[in-house]
Amino acid sequence: MQPTILVFACNWDGWSSMEAATSEGLSYPASVKVVRISCLSRIHMGLILNAFNFGADGVLLLGCEPGKCHYCSDSDYVINEYEKTREIMALLGIWKDRLSLVHLPAFDGQGFVNEINKLVKEIEGIPAARRSKLIGSEGIHQEPVKNG
Amino acid sequence: MAVKTPAHSDPGIGGRAAVLGDTIAAIQAALTLAETGIEVSLITRSAALGWDSINSCPGKSSAEERRFIWPLLMRAVNHPNITFHTNCALDSIDGSAGDFTLHLTRYPRYIDEDICTSCGRCQAECSAQITTVINGHKTTRNAIHAPDPGNKSIPSAYLIDKKDYSPCRISCPLGINVQGFVSLLANGKTDQALALINESAPLAGILGRVCRHLCEDKCNRAQIDSAVSIRSLHRFAADEAKIGPIYTIKNPERTSEDRIAIVGSGPAGLTCAWELKRRGYSPVVIESHSVIGGMLATGIPRFRLPKEIREREIAAIRNLGVDIRTGITVGRDVNYHYLKERGFKAFFLAIGTQRNNWLKIPGEELDGVVDCMSLLLTLNLMVDSFVGQHIVIIGDGNTAIDSARTAIRRNHGQVTILSWTVPDEITAANEEVEEALQEGVTVEHCVIPVEILGEGGKVTGLRCLRTQLTDDIMPNGRHRPEPVPGSDFIIDADHVVMAIGQSANADELGIEGLDIDPDSGVIRVNPLTLQTSIPGVFAGGDCVTGPNNVVEAMAHGLRASESIDRHLQGTDLEEGRSLEPQKAAEIDINTIEATPYKRAVMPAISPQKRMNSFEETTKGLSEKLAQREAQRCLNCAVCSQCMECTRICELNAVKHDDCVRHLDLAVNSVLRFPSAQGSDQDLNIASDVQTILCDDKEDIATRLSKSMSVALETANSITQKNGIGDFRTVSSEKNITIRKTVPAEKPPFDNQRTGIFLCRCGGSITETLDFRAVARRLMDMTDVICIKEIAQSCTAEGALEIAEQVRLHQLDRIVLAACRCCNLDQVCYTCTDRRGKCLHYINKHLVEPEKTIVEFVNIREQCAWVHKDNPREATRKATRIILSGVARVKLSPANGMDSVPVLPNVLVIGSTIANITAARALANRGYQVELIESKLNKPDPLQNEKYKTAPDQLRQENIIIKQWPQALEISGSPGTYQIRRKSGGKSDLITAGAILIDIEALTTGNPSLWETTHFTGVIKRLLDRRMHINPHENAGNDLLRSLTIRDTTGIFLTNNDNDEPHNDAVLNGLAVAARIAAFIDKAGIIPRTTSVVINEELCRGCGTCGDICPYIDMKNRDNGTIYASIDSALCLGCGTCVASCPSGAITQPSQSNKQIVSTLRSLLQQGKTTAEVY
Repeated sequence: MQPTILVFACNWDGWSSMEAATSEGLSYPASVKVVRISCLSRIHMGLILNAFNFGADGVLLLGCEPGKCHYCSDSDYVINEYEKTREIMALLGIWKDRLSLVHLPAFDGQGFVNEINKLVKEIEGIPAARRSKLIGSEGIHQEPVKNG
Repeated sequence: MAVKTPAHSDPGIGGRAAVLGDTIAAIQAALTLAETGIEVSLITRSAALGWDSINSCPGKSSAEERRFIWPLLMRAVNHPNITFHTNCALDSIDGSAGDFTLHLTRYPRYIDEDICTSCGRCQAECSAQITTVINGHKTTRNAIHAPDPGNKSIPSAYLIDKKDYSPCRISCPLGINVQGFVSLLANGKTDQALALINESAPLAGILGRVCRHLCEDKCNRAQIDSAVSIRSLHRFAADEAKIGPIYTIKNPERTSEDRIAIVGSGPAGLTCAWELKRRGYSPVVIESHSVIGGMLATGIPRFRLPKEIREREIAAIRNLGVDIRTGITVGRDVNYHYLKERGFKAFFLAIGTQRNNWLKIPGEELDGVVDCMSLLLTLNLMVDSFVGQHIVIIGDGNTAIDSARTAIRRNHGQVTILSWTVPDEITAANEEVEEALQEGVTVEHCVIPVEILGEGGKVTGLRCLRTQLTDDIMPNGRHRPEPVPGSDFIIDADHVVMAIGQSANADELGIEGLDIDPDSGVIRVNPLTLQTSIPGVFAGGDCVTGPNNVVEAMAHGLRASESIDRHLQGTDLEEGRSLEPQKAAEIDINTIEATPYKRAVMPAISPQKRMNSFEETTKGLSEKLAQREAQRCLNCAVCSQCMECTRICELNAVKHDDCVRHLDLAVNSVLRFPSAQGSDQDLNIASDVQTILCDDKEDIATRLSKSMSVALETANSITQKNGIGDFRTVSSEKNITIRKTVPAEKPPFDNQRTGIFLCRCGGSITETLDFRAVARRLMDMTDVICIKEIAQSCTAEGALEIAEQVRLHQLDRIVLAACRCCNLDQVCYTCTDRRGKCLHYINKHLVEPEKTIVEFVNIREQCAWVHKDNPREATRKATRIILSGVARVKLSPANGMDSVPVLPNVLVIGSTIANITAARALANRGYQVELIESKLNKPDPLQNEKYKTAPDQLRQENIIIKQWPQALEISGSPGTYQIRRKSGGKSDLITAGAILIDIEALTTGNPSLWETTHFTGVIKRLLDRRMHINPHENAGNDLLRSLTIRDTTGIFLTNNDNDEPHNDAVLNGLAVAARIAAFIDKAGIIPRTTSVVINEELCRGCGTCGDICPYIDMKNRDNGTIYASIDSALCLGCGTCVASCPSGAITQPSQSNKQIVSTLRSLLQQGKTTAEVY
């Protein structure tokens, strides 16, 4: 059973890399599921933790390379959110390497597949008991989602 | 969000333009023209545009710039004013400026680009694969392929490479698609190969053994090593295909009572009957012998054509329903008049040549002298017959060899063939001679018998003369030998066989009025129609040509069937027919990559074993050998027309009958963008066609600017010519209320009725995904009213089907699972022309698109294609993805945002050359233009006599010139800016849809307005941000980005260029004017679908979002507290502010937190049924 990976891909270079993998004839496990968001800066900790809570073994944040953002958005936002979330994950007892942040150039199909494989390997290396641990099991609030 | 078409409203400007070229400059010119209301035909020689091909100017485009090329192309292909004419060449242009007619030739792509989804299943089935090496660059591609293999292109539709006809196919008298069946065999498709052969001709098993194989003589493979062994492949297909000899009826619905008599059941007669039967007639074949097959049965020895094979092939023709009557001789048992009286309306005489030729030398009457046909007949039909111990066969044709080989199997003694010529010029086929020699037959060359010697009435030998070749060439192309006087010698023989050919015996038919050649005895016919001197009576085969081969006789049969069909239908016998061979494909053998590989040879029984039996000498090729042999084919015509693509394409997008078409286009203007290696350089083009040459020193931004400026000038001239488009009548003072619709948070419908549509994509999705399983799992979801499978959703038919279901079930929400992956109205790097079409047709055909919310989910690339190897998991994943689409669509707000109006007024701040140029171009379009003059440089461009830009001149052009104020106050929002000009206590108000600002004038003018001007917060920050971009470093990217994601600010910047060369400044001015024109001509700004909404009540004024986003304004409430506000027209839609907001006041209706969480739940939650998950 392949680990379930949830990818938050930005609409631009991230999404294009995912599609490029198909057009280049590459393949990745069917347990990889991709959610499109306009920009990686749109993602916050609540959404990431939700993904884990719904059973994702790993979450991959996939966006454009620094300086290439379509919206000229500063990539520091997502880096901060990523660091912060990892810290919280550690606090919650979730193996923090289950979250990964990746920047890819546009149309990098091979890069996408490589990153997926890397994360799959990473997760497979995690002790089984902690691999798919949900937040709910620790008694944390079920839906740390802001309104809206 | 509801689907919304971008508003490319036509502000009353008409006209048509043609843009020729396939470079990025051409695309941009087309876009600018289209955006300014001109209908554009984009004509490209290339079959498709891709990001490499359109950048054919070897410029310095960086990878970064290439990223923007695709969205540019997508915008062009999605623009309703642009029509693509790809694969088109310009032949000539008539007329003059304002009224051109273009004569175009459209080359066939053989695939309907309106249908093809570029799924690539055809390519996987394509039999023809060609590897070429040109300039050391090796490419392998199928005949059917994507325009830019491996890359996306527009149109994405596939195309087929065809080069006339392969030489093998042309040389086949029957027109069998030789390359087609060989290429099928090369791919191991034996059944399809035989089916293809059976479409053109019957008797495959016979032809595969005894055909004269003219095809092999013309095979281009011989230029590399040796010809492909086509005949043995023909035999392989006939013997090994599981389908066997089964023929199709061409016109099942047509049956004719007209009776047709075919005299003779040889290859010609059988083929004629076969074809007529397939065309719906019921011919009757009359055969004088008791066996069917004519020469096939009586003349060809069994070891070459086994009886079982002959009977199998003839049985197949009989099974088709052909009526064959044996043992009736026309002219003896029945006659022509009798048959006519019995209602036969057409005749085909195919009686062959039954009369033997004799040398007419002394001794032919001796006992032991026989003709070859009698010998073959008796031996072949196993009638016991005498053979001598020393047989001499006179003649060197195939019949002579056959006679010799048959005889040697019976006499186990000596058999000698006397040929009158040298080995190289012998009439018989080489391999036949070869096998005869192996079997012990002796061939005496350059010998001519002059007398048969005998004793007591019995043959004892022959007296012969030696011959030598002369320079005289005979009709068959060989040298005529002549006897050498005095070279007499004697050969012993106890049995002499005369095998010097046969003559026709048509006189024995006893048909009155039939024109017969008195010398040769053949029936005279019209060579094209095969009609004899009697209308309705046709003749073919050996009785017309003299002794010939099987395949030519069969070809006559086919030709006669066409004539008989026409005769009975009463149509012209000759119209549209020709004996001219089709044009052969020309191949450059040096560019074809092929490793020499030995021609396959069929295994044969050893000569010793052959002697004791009449068993077939050769065994067919093995499967492996046949495939390897077929792979030697070079696919000369590229496409082999094996029709596998037609079979596999569920959408019928493949059109093999596509042809070169000519079309004429009437346009007002023509812009020509020849590429560096353009082929139309030498075309004689009228001088008033604008040609924009590519300068490879220019970067992409310059090239785009150049295109925009030329296009704008063209649009202006067309507009002026058409005398429409004056916007000054629109009052700038008119108070325009700006409607800002805040998308409803709550779905507007109480009863949600959702429909799910599953696109098969012509089978490319369903070949992996199991739609039944998907539907089973989605069925129990509440609110899902219907789940429907559609063949293809990116066509009008598909959209109409969806629209019909929407109407029928009163659906208010749709999830379309296909290839399109968003409804965000964006042009991102992943989009394709099919995804554009998908949206286009749905918008077009939904009756009330504003009332139906559509969510698109991609199950093609993300499931069916990438997880091809795991259909089960792919199906599960697709179900989850569709489920997430349902979850999102349920939470989608009812509708998108309304468009924000844009005033057709422009304020230009700063009188630089670029700005003045822009002002003039915009005034020229009929917009109200106000120019605030600055005095920055000497010489002042406003006073420049040379460029005629004096204020008076400009005023004549309807530009209002205003003095540089002491201070400015700019407020308002995109589309309706209010600018208050303050000078010495006085002030006036200018309202403008767009503002063009020269940065240097603004900052260094006298006084510097940068310091004194009050900008509303957002405008100031906007300028701040834009001014910090170094125009010389990032200009290209900045321009490209704003072209890609649409300019919605309405504020355009230039930077003082009075030091720059005048031409460059003019160019920049026109380019910026083009962008302003495009901005205004849309007549309204549609906020981006992804733009955010701020709930003022929830905002606690922390200012975090304001720090992140230059477009968010912190405003004061009446009570003095602060709140964040955003102009939805300005919002780029990144969503960073949503993530940053601590109070949840900011939402992004297109992807709210709720929607994302629902998506996550649908995609991830395990162990729950779909109903529970949702």
